[in-house]
Amino acid sequence: MNNAGLSRRQILAAAGFIGLATLTACGSGDESSDGKDLSKKQDGAMKQYRAGDRFKATKPLSFEVLHNNNPVYPLKDDWLFWKELTERTGVTLEPIAVPLSDYEKKRSLLIGAGDAPFLIPKTYPGAETPFVSSGSILPVSEYLDLMPNFQAKVKQWRLQPELDSLRQSDGKFYLLPGLHEKVKSGYSLALRTDVLDKHGLKAPGTWDEVYEVLKALREEYPDRYPFSDRWSTNTTFPAGALFGYLGQAFGVRAGWSYLNISWDPAQEKFVFTGASDGFRQMVEYVRKLVADQLMDPESFTQTDDDAVKKLLAEKSFVISANPQELVQNYRYNLQKQVEGSRIEMIPVPLGPAGPVVLGGSRLENGMMISSKALESDSFVALMQFVDWLWYSDEGQLFTKWGVEGVTYTSSGPGAYRPKEGVSLLGSDPDAPKDMQKDFGFYNGVFSYGGSWELVSSSFGPDEKKFQAAMAQREQLPVDPPHPLGSVEQEQASLWDTPLKDHVTQNLLQFVLGKRPMSEWDDYVAELKAKNMQQLVDLHNKAYERYEKENA
Amino acid sequence: MVSLPSPRKPRTSVNQPTPGYRVFQGVNGVILTLVVVVTLYPFVNIVARSFSGERQIRAGEVTLWPKGFNLTTYEIVFNDGMFWRNYGNTVFYTVVSTAVAMALTTCYAYVLSKKHLKGRGFLVGVAVFTMFFTGGLIPNYVLITSLGLKNTVWALALPNAISVFNLLVMKAFFESLPDELEEAAQIDGLSTYGILRRIVLPLSKAVVATMVLFYSVSFWNSWFSAFLYMDRTDLMPVTVYLRNLIAGATQGGNAGATTEQLSQTAANIQAVTIVLTSLPILCVYPFVQRYFVSGVMLGAVKG
Amino acid sequence: MSTPTTSAPPPGTQDPPPAKTPPHRTRSPARTGWRRALRRDWQLYSLAVLPLLFFLVFRYLPMIGNVIAFRRFEPGGSILGEHWVGLRYVEMFLTDPTFWQVFRNTLWLGGLTLVFCFPIPIVLALLLNEVRRRALKRFVQSVSYLPHFLSIVIVAGITLQMLATDGPVNHMLGWFGHEPVRFIQEPDWFRTIYVGSEIWQTAGWGTILYLAALTTIDEDLYEAARIDGASRWRQTWHVTLPGIRPTMITLLILNIGTFMAVGFEKILLLYNPLTYPTADVISTYLYRTGVESNSFSYAAAIGLFEAVIGLILITSANQMSRRTVGTSLW
Repeated sequence: MNNAGLSRRQILAAAGFIGLATLTACGSGDESSDGKDLSKKQDGAMKQYRAGDRFKATKPLSFEVLHNNNPVYPLKDDWLFWKELTERTGVTLEPIAVPLSDYEKKRSLLIGAGDAPFLIPKTYPGAETPFVSSGSILPVSEYLDLMPNFQAKVKQWRLQPELDSLRQSDGKFYLLPGLHEKVKSGYSLALRTDVLDKHGLKAPGTWDEVYEVLKALREEYPDRYPFSDRWSTNTTFPAGALFGYLGQAFGVRAGWSYLNISWDPAQEKFVFTGASDGFRQMVEYVRKLVADQLMDPESFTQTDDDAVKKLLAEKSFVISANPQELVQNYRYNLQKQVEGSRIEMIPVPLGPAGPVVLGGSRLENGMMISSKALESDSFVALMQFVDWLWYSDEGQLFTKWGVEGVTYTSSGPGAYRPKEGVSLLGSDPDAPKDMQKDFGFYNGVFSYGGSWELVSSSFGPDEKKFQAAMAQREQLPVDPPHPLGSVEQEQASLWDTPLKDHVTQNLLQFVLGKRPMSEWDDYVAELKAKNMQQLVDLHNKAYERYEKENA
Repeated sequence: MVSLPSPRKPRTSVNQPTPGYRVFQGVNGVILTLVVVVTLYPFVNIVARSFSGERQIRAGEVTLWPKGFNLTTYEIVFNDGMFWRNYGNTVFYTVVSTAVAMALTTCYAYVLSKKHLKGRGFLVGVAVFTMFFTGGLIPNYVLITSLGLKNTVWALALPNAISVFNLLVMKAFFESLPDELEEAAQIDGLSTYGILRRIVLPLSKAVVATMVLFYSVSFWNSWFSAFLYMDRTDLMPVTVYLRNLIAGATQGGNAGATTEQLSQTAANIQAVTIVLTSLPILCVYPFVQRYFVSGVMLGAVKG
Repeated sequence: MSTPTTSAPPPGTQDPPPAKTPPHRTRSPARTGWRRALRRDWQLYSLAVLPLLFFLVFRYLPMIGNVIAFRRFEPGGSILGEHWVGLRYVEMFLTDPTFWQVFRNTLWLGGLTLVFCFPIPIVLALLLNEVRRRALKRFVQSVSYLPHFLSIVIVAGITLQMLATDGPVNHMLGWFGHEPVRFIQEPDWFRTIYVGSEIWQTAGWGTILYLAALTTIDEDLYEAARIDGASRWRQTWHVTLPGIRPTMITLLILNIGTFMAVGFEKILLLYNPLTYPTADVISTYLYRTGVESNSFSYAAAIGLFEAVIGLILITSANQMSRRTVGTSLW
């Protein structure tokens, strides 16, 4: 047999495996007594490094980074990004490529097996929580003094409350999030404006007007549902986008941003979202849309493809959108299918909660750092490097737009455009080079967040208009920190899911008219039977405990 | 059944179908035609889609024949050096893994098929137990890493060398071979290895072919092990490549990029993927099918 | 050597009852049994060495990790857990009412899949076997395998399209004057939909093993039956079916043992909150709770529970088959 030679090695290695397993069993949890003595970890670090300085390692360094490999711009070793980065900072990054399709799975596995690189980017707030109690992830909040740019941005943009919401039960936080100066809104309704014009209808500004417009459309086209929505299959919440921005208008977190627990500023305590008044009003609103046949009942279960197909075939005129989908999918395809069609995204219509956007959305995905980094001699340099590349104005400009004169030209701050012959996001289909594919800039692993000036510098006209309107809205306060301990966390996650299931299931039953609204109280009683109160109490207890310990 | 010596009569004489059988044949024809329609249609539709333009796909116009003929997605895939490289990997991984799996599975299945063997129950139990009790993701990962198998073909071939399902099916086949043959061979002085190689395997071409098919299809389609144990893009099999491409095309919204090309890709990458991955296996299939001819075994024995 | 002709029962039916071992082999007292067995069969045992090594290293060694079902595991900590917690995780799911609901659903879906997806390939293989024209037979065979090669995303997509309000199924209902049904939102329909799509995808591929088994049947048996004047139907009943019986029994036992393993990905793509009451199974429930990434211990405990059930099922199926038809896995 061809693998016979391997077998003895296998036995030996297998024995080694057992040994290794026991070794790691004993070895974990032995934190160095005082992590704060960094005097021996200064290799390559700058003595003086302040906000606005360019980081330059005093000797060549290299760090491994987990790299989310996006097939739109697959990782290449000859990207200008790597070369220029090494030139500017003296740091060579060694990417470990993980396919985008299953990035989270591999990340969890690598950390679980103790095999993760120092830098673990593309981590969304909350995703770091499971790794906290084992001590495998660095409590970055303890080392912010090494990160002047990060601190400056937090102060300048008043992000402390957001940052506090990341704190774990030990009062530290473990994730360096992406920081935004302003909220960047994602989703809203898109309407066929040419159809509206034809029937003398105006784009709606409030949800009541949305109802009126849909009703008018139904009267014109009695055989069609004017509104057929998407983002319902293989997602955490049916019609996740719609309920997200609709909920916001009612002052509740629904849709993709749904959490069982939400802060009620009036009562100063946490309450159960799915049983709140705002949630009920939202349900009643959608129920009316469905009952009056203004909204397609399949909206909550059909695939995205089917929903878009209905839009393109003019079986519907309204659909949820984000700026990219609007331009690249709906408008692009509609123009091919329907002569003279126009489709526009409107600012999120207003509801009872007034002109608000949900809090907390100024934090984006960010970076975890492996605890092992702390044992490295170049730990200080690593933190300075991270601070420069991800949080300094210069670093952010570099990761997004690249090198002036080579990949972009500038006519003043905030006014950047790709250089002649370079295409960014399809801006110039005939250009020989692509900003992402050929140079490695505007890469989601390195480029996110930043000043409004920088973020908006790549907006298309539609997005500019939409974001400008949304930027006028007032941000609702962020929930106060209420971190659970790891055992509590485990219990909470077992209560959370059945409760959320019951909420989404009944949400759809109410909305589709399969359950009468008169049974709302029964529904709340059912939630109680599923430990609703225990979950709320758990979070309120955690909130009080945190308040007391960190007053 | 009566036991008469069998004088070989020309088959035609007893092969006159009864009227009832004719009706059956008709019904059978209808049923099988239905099976063909029901299974072939979606596949033809997918092939058609893979060659169609995005407008026609999105409008739902494509049925059995490509509309708005378009090769963009194929071109994008074919022009990527990484695709070919990963395709080569897939072929290599599949061949090696299948060879290892066939060797181990055949040996063990043959051992288990010997009813007289002492400890046989235990040996079967060892295998059956692992159908249900498995190690978790992390222990497996640590094992492969500490054996130094990461980034090698062995990380894919060795941990999946025996599928207990295939093993037991093969064992059942071996058991159904008549004992007399082997006993005779033993008397002729053949060793156990010799019997396995010269008597049992030639008689089991059908099951060997089936197992090769089962193993190679499953290795060909698998992506998870490679995704876990390969760290470099150029080591990935084509399944991981295409899976990532699909993910990029369907959640490309956040990546932002779209030109006409990407929009086309988003419309039919799924279809192209299926054509590209299942076509080679479909081409191999007829060679396997050759062995599914009735009477192979006894023809071989009597000859 | 006796030529296997008319009188011999078809291969596979001649298994001796397991209680009796072949007469010329036993008789030695148990103590010397092993030595004799080793001396006689050392070549056979030697063939088992590498496979056993495989099981030991790649199957049994990682199983040690299952100890985290009884120890608290923290991602990034020791892979064998931090400290003992006893049956904490077992109690956690035993006392979770949702767990029992998804457990019931798993049994339902698994059971229905077994009842329908097991026999259909046999019937299909027999039907194929009756096709006289070789080219036609091959064509039908090859085509019926195609669904096996489609990814689950596509299969789910096709299913949803068929059942949409303006899809073909509702069109047909329309001919009979029936109001369109939103199948995908009705819990009562989910099981039918799931099993139907499962049959569609697996039936053709499932025939392969039976077709391979059919090749081992002696042509002479058919001839003898024909001479006796047996009709095709009787030939099938008395020759064909007994001929593929070992394969059938093996597959049946294996399917019974693994029937809790329902198609996670397919359910995930076909269900929605409205159909949770019938569609939600253990694996999808665990997926939503996020325990695979957060609470490995809890997932491991449930995994062990499922494994025990599977082992009990397969052992009982094996026993039963041994008593009733005399064929068994071990």
